[in-house]
Amino acid sequence: MTAQRSNTLVVAVGLLATLALSAGCRGNKSKDPPIHPNWNMDDQQYFQAQEDNDWFPDHRAQRPLVAGTVARGLLKADDHLYRGRGADGRLVDTLPPSITLDEALLDRGERRYAIYCAPCHEQNGRGNGIIAQPGSVATGLLVKPPSYMDPRLQAMPLGYFFDVISNGKATMRPYAAQIPVEDRWAIAAWVRVLQVSERAAKADIPPAELGKLNSGGAQ
Amino acid sequence: MAQIFPRWTNKIPLAVGVTAPVVLVSVVFAIWYWFSPKFTDVGYQPEQPVPFSHKLHAGSLGLDCRYCHNTVEQAAAAALPPAGTCMNCHANLNLGDHENRIKPIKDAFAGGPPVEWIRVHMLPDYAYFNHSVHLAAGVGCSSCHGRIDQMETVFQDQPLSMSWCLDCHRDPEPNLRPRDQITNMAWGPEDAAAYDPNTDPTRTRAVAPPEHCSGCHR
Repeated sequence: MTAQRSNTLVVAVGLLATLALSAGCRGNKSKDPPIHPNWNMDDQQYFQAQEDNDWFPDHRAQRPLVAGTVARGLLKADDHLYRGRGADGRLVDTLPPSITLDEALLDRGERRYAIYCAPCHEQNGRGNGIIAQPGSVATGLLVKPPSYMDPRLQAMPLGYFFDVISNGKATMRPYAAQIPVEDRWAIAAWVRVLQVSERAAKADIPPAELGKLNSGGAQ
Repeated sequence: MAQIFPRWTNKIPLAVGVTAPVVLVSVVFAIWYWFSPKFTDVGYQPEQPVPFSHKLHAGSLGLDCRYCHNTVEQAAAAALPPAGTCMNCHANLNLGDHENRIKPIKDAFAGGPPVEWIRVHMLPDYAYFNHSVHLAAGVGCSSCHGRIDQMETVFQDQPLSMSWCLDCHRDPEPNLRPRDQITNMAWGPEDAAAYDPNTDPTRTRAVAPPEHCSGCHR
């Protein structure tokens, strides 16, 4: 075997080994942005939601609303629906006319409550959710949420809960930006369900349902 | 008399018959394997300006994905939460020695510059993806994003390539769930096998994902 041929062999084997090794890199973690051999039009001259735009000092392509302006369709003139207050400015104790009380509303309220409220207020509304409790790192909430079963809160009108969800109260921050208005009413209705379930007496149960309860067949 | 063909021409059949196919196949293989998003994109795990742990928040604490990514059911984009969402809890609790880790968030909340999170999942700009329609159809978060609840720092789990999209668009059923299970990170293959979207009474119409070009490229 000549020296030249053995060199070629070494190069070939080295090349194959490199390929085989780098083939094993599929899915490896990397902090560096992906390298696309062909960028085509992957990044075009328009801005997607929350993209950055270095033209602005704060690098936000999405611009904050100009003070004193209202976006089209977001006037929120209906006081009952958007503020939970009647014509007299007091908190209402009824759902807005556009929202009907039915099983679907309460189901929606229960599910949305589980997402947005239960972490602090607890699934049953007694105020000892997982965030409220001390953890391995965090202290737990410094001010604990009250229980909805508290007589003070049992006496509050429905609009109060809508108002607190929307605008916050004491250490609770407003959720108006995070939860759509219909869902806030659904949650307020679900809070009422939790309260009623606490104070309900046997006489409150409809006779048909009471029969199920007595026979032990309640679902 | 001199030969018409010099001696090196003896190697032409070898070059055409063996070397050329080997080179050609190598080039095709290299593009197929190393240019694929499975190689270039999967595993992208950028270091974020705040060491936010999805493993802690979505895993241990069990917060629903939608607590923070609250636009995901109504909008095309699953928005990153504003600093205010973090402060819903963090304004009212203390991390002790770790409190300085969330300083950029607190500064942003106090009116400072916004936190510049680094995007992990980057679709090309010519693909118009909409989160809300996928959730409405019952495709779960973990189907495309992997087990986010087990990731300390989020990385890209799936290739998000066109063929990967089409695999599901052509046969969506294995990736559909009841719509109240979309944020369930633990939904596994055995759950999927036990679920039949065609007999789910909460579904009012069949899922018909587009397979034509303009379904995604507008």
